[in-house]
Amino acid sequence: MMNKKTDVLVIGAGLSGMMAAARAAQSGKKVTLLTKGMGTLSLTSGCIDLWGYEVDNPKQPCGSPFAQIQKVVEQNPSHPYAKVYDVLKESLTFFQGICDKDGLTYRDNGGENWLLPTAVGTLRPTYLAPTSMAVKDLNKVKQIVVAGFDELKDFYPEVLVTNLKKSKLLRPDCELTVAHLKSGWKKLYATSLAHRLEQPEGQREVIRQLKPLIKPGAIVLFPPALGERRDIDVAGLISKGLGCPVYEVTNLPPALPGQRLQDLFLKYLKNQGVTVILSSTVTGAQVAGNRCSHVTAEGAGKTFTISAQTYILATGSFVGGGFDSKPGQIEETIFGLPINTGDGKWASGEFLSLKGHPFNRFGIDVNDRLQPVDGQSKVILENVLVTGANLAGSEFSIEKCGNGVALASGFKAGKLAGEVSR
Amino acid sequence: MATEKVQVVVVGGGATGTGILRDLAMRGISALLVEQGDLAHGTSSRFHGLLHSGGRYAVKDQEAAKECLEENMILRRIASDCVEPTGGLFAALPEDDPAYAEKWVKACAESGIKTEELNIKELLKKYPVLSPRITKAYSTPDAAVDGFRLLWSNVNSARRYGAKMVTYHKLSAVYRANGAITGVELTNTLNGEITSVECQMVINAAGAWAGEVAAMAGLEIHMIKDKGTLLAFNHRLTNQVVNRLRPPGDADIFVPHGTITLLGTTSIAVEDPNSTKPSEIEVENMLNIGRETMPNIDNYRIIRAFAGVRPLYQANKGAGGRAVTRNFALIDHEQKDGLKGLVSIVGGKFTTYRLMAEKTVDLAAKKLGNNTPCRTAEEPLTQPVTSEMLERGKKVFGVPGYKKAAERLGDAYGKVVEKAEQDPSMRRMFCECELVSASEIDYVAKDGDSKTLSDIRRKTRMGMGTCQGIFCSYRTLGALGNNPQFTVGHREFITEFLQNRWRGIRPVLWGQQLRETQLSTGIFCSLFGMERMNDE
Ligand SMILES: Cc1cc2nc3c(=O)[nH]c(=O)nc-3n(C[C@H](O)[C@H](O)[C@H](O)COP(=O)(O)OP(=O)(O)OC[C@H]3O[C@@H](n4cnc5c(N)ncnc54)[C@H](O)[C@@H]3O)c2cc1C
Ligand SMILES: Cc1cc2nc3c(=O)[nH]c(=O)nc-3n(C[C@H](O)[C@H](O)[C@H](O)COP(=O)(O)OP(=O)(O)OC[C@H]3O[C@@H](n4cnc5c(N)ncnc54)[C@H](O)[C@@H]3O)c2cc1C
Repeated sequence: MMNKKTDVLVIGAGLSGMMAAARAAQSGKKVTLLTKGMGTLSLTSGCIDLWGYEVDNPKQPCGSPFAQIQKVVEQNPSHPYAKVYDVLKESLTFFQGICDKDGLTYRDNGGENWLLPTAVGTLRPTYLAPTSMAVKDLNKVKQIVVAGFDELKDFYPEVLVTNLKKSKLLRPDCELTVAHLKSGWKKLYATSLAHRLEQPEGQREVIRQLKPLIKPGAIVLFPPALGERRDIDVAGLISKGLGCPVYEVTNLPPALPGQRLQDLFLKYLKNQGVTVILSSTVTGAQVAGNRCSHVTAEGAGKTFTISAQTYILATGSFVGGGFDSKPGQIEETIFGLPINTGDGKWASGEFLSLKGHPFNRFGIDVNDRLQPVDGQSKVILENVLVTGANLAGSEFSIEKCGNGVALASGFKAGKLAGEVSR
Repeated sequence: MATEKVQVVVVGGGATGTGILRDLAMRGISALLVEQGDLAHGTSSRFHGLLHSGGRYAVKDQEAAKECLEENMILRRIASDCVEPTGGLFAALPEDDPAYAEKWVKACAESGIKTEELNIKELLKKYPVLSPRITKAYSTPDAAVDGFRLLWSNVNSARRYGAKMVTYHKLSAVYRANGAITGVELTNTLNGEITSVECQMVINAAGAWAGEVAAMAGLEIHMIKDKGTLLAFNHRLTNQVVNRLRPPGDADIFVPHGTITLLGTTSIAVEDPNSTKPSEIEVENMLNIGRETMPNIDNYRIIRAFAGVRPLYQANKGAGGRAVTRNFALIDHEQKDGLKGLVSIVGGKFTTYRLMAEKTVDLAAKKLGNNTPCRTAEEPLTQPVTSEMLERGKKVFGVPGYKKAAERLGDAYGKVVEKAEQDPSMRRMFCECELVSASEIDYVAKDGDSKTLSDIRRKTRMGMGTCQGIFCSYRTLGALGNNPQFTVGHREFITEFLQNRWRGIRPVLWGQQLRETQLSTGIFCSLFGMERMNDE
């Protein structure tokens, strides 16, 4: 059986794994990123949520997420943010640096959260958004034109308008306009629309149809499909043609903003000399004492082993594929690490509620060096570091912290792996 | 307060009530059916969907077995598009008493149920999911029935004969004068509005709620309410109904419906007819028993669990659960309690609904001085969709969507196809699992009986498939943009839609199901923030 050697093996190409690989590579380590699939980034809005609502008033969107995270860390030492608080700001700067260099700028809103429109007309709090999504001064806008395409299945301007109208954030006299654009195609998918809009004819056609509807002080909201490539600024080009700002809103997958971020990172990692192995799955690990000596992986019909100094477990909870479950039983699939299931209750009675669900909090307990620990806080495997959605103790969907935890914990794991001497 | 006048008010939009409505209408008796929820709100959509051959009852109750067989054959004829003639099989395992099998073969023969012993080797080859430990197996004429469709077909047929039906109207009081029924009070369950209807007779076909309805007339009917839970597998495990060849017990029947299979059921006495929450223990116990017949059952994904409440009639208090007769009881309250104009029909099975309706209407007609004979066993419920129309449907909806739509829509198929022929945007499929088109949603939204978005969901079966309803729930909102009565309350709709699904998913939350549920929380909460969305 073939054996590969590396300094740092990152398992999983979600945001946390890619951040870990990027940061470890910066320390001059030989890094291998091995992954089964592409992670959840392309299912997300593409924005980086840090924390959405006030800890003491969970219906109230918070201004600065940092003030809230500080409270969380003080009140709840088992929350993942408590393990990575030391690197939080540094990790954001590192992330923004990588994105900036590529030209896909991620903006903050002067230290406060953005409140950005979604396809159902809600406003979602988030900390970093790509320029194409970062709607500025929504409260001053005089007209919001929502541009849908009749042939596109999963974007309904009427639904957006019906609900956005109710927002108290808008000017009372803000006019909401539905624009039904025709593409002339029989069927449109987010990606086929994105490709079309990368072409000058596609942009011209959209501008021609929209122009008559635009009034002074307007903005236009599009489904998140303004191009797949990062070297063509579709939002910017349409905006120029219309003479008003143009944005993408958050919608169901497939959505292009997350996809762009994923592509950007993979390209960056390759440029940094990271070995990226796609479509391969780690199936098991060899453990000696409290260290992992190698893992076994399968891909392209072959089985091989990889040994490393440090293993970063960035396999993404249930959605990512890191955890599996049977009736009454949950397992971490590679190392068999224990999963903290709290009081043993898996789910809440109400599907949608501020309580969220226990299963989203399930995860691996770690110390503040991100090493997995048992119930007595004893390190189980000293050269395995755990990141992202695998960490126990946060409800990403309710707290609005998924990519924030992934980003900061990935960064910290990469940094710690970089400090290990050969 | 509007006042209407009919001869008979039928209470309960289940199999029994809709069967009665049709029978009344066909005999020329003017009638109104009232249902507190949507049609099939009660047990008639929360059941196994087995059109019994009678085999299950042959040993214990030959009379019931014969009734089942006879009705089974009638329904195959009059409701061919609601029945899938799958056939059934009864299989015994080494631990099952061989003497029972012998008794069973004999009893089936006596009841007229055709059975044939099967070659085990061939059977296992045909259905590798079955246990290799099977010792004996027989075929029977069981079948699968689509309850929801059958109910709507009854109502549509009754309406053609002039009958009326209102959903979301609860019988809230019974008016009586001089020892006779004079009318009823109805409460609109959506807006609380009260109306009254004058009538000479009330037929109580309220299933597990029959006791509550009788109480409104100041009378008592003692019902045993018996909850049963079912599991839906995302797989057609066999093409035939599979029964265990032993005295009837829990979790011993598998019924294939389209691409899924239902395993059931349990038997737990409950106080409240609305107790339809499946428990995790029931699920576990059922899987343990189901595994005996199909050892690799855990390899198949369960998409949901659900429960219904059997309306069992207890003439003499005491005996409970499965031991109580499945036969129905027709109660003439004029005779029993001295109240003229009230008749209750209780107990029974889905399979025998038509017979129950016939007996009930025989009595009602006699009291009303009408002697037209019953014709429900002869006249088909629906006109099958013509092959010409199917061809046209294929052109607009494609394969295989056109067939599914025809099965759901029956008589209304032509209109839905025409609309899609005229307007290409109406051809889009909004639910990929169940293949529901924009045209169908639009039609159902405008049919006059759809009051809530959930009604549209039930009639079109959107979101009943294997996905988590993520896309189709949102698309339903989008598709209804030009039906203004549905453009409000988006949060309420999606919340209710998801909560309904959640009730079924929560007891089977593991493996793929848990993965997808986490994904759903990501979509509805992370992306859309629906947990904090307001409707006002
Ligand atoms: C639908 C949805 C929308 C969301 N929207 C947002 C949002 O808008 N903003 C936000 O901040 N957060 C959002 N989140 C949360 C956020 O996406 C996650 O918390 C975060 O991205 C998790 O990143 P991760 O790197 O830990 O895991 P993942 O992104 O899940 O990555 C796990 C990786 O591990 C790989 N893997 C798993 N097992 C193996 C194995 N055995 N061998 C090899 N590879 C393996 C997988 O293929 C995958 O590449 C959303 C989540 C969901 C589900
Ligand atoms: C788990 C399970 C599996 C079963 N499997 C099978 C099977 O495979 N084959 C078979 O033949 N039988 C089966 N049965 C039995 C069968 O489902 C029932 O006997 C049958 O559906 C009862 O129909 P119904 O019309 O009498 O009652 P229901 O369908 O319950 O209809 C009664 C209706 O009355 C309405 N109602 C009540 N009160 C009022 C009021 N005040 N005003 C207005 N409306 C009111 C209710 O909302 C309800 O919709 C099963 C039962 C269960 C529980």
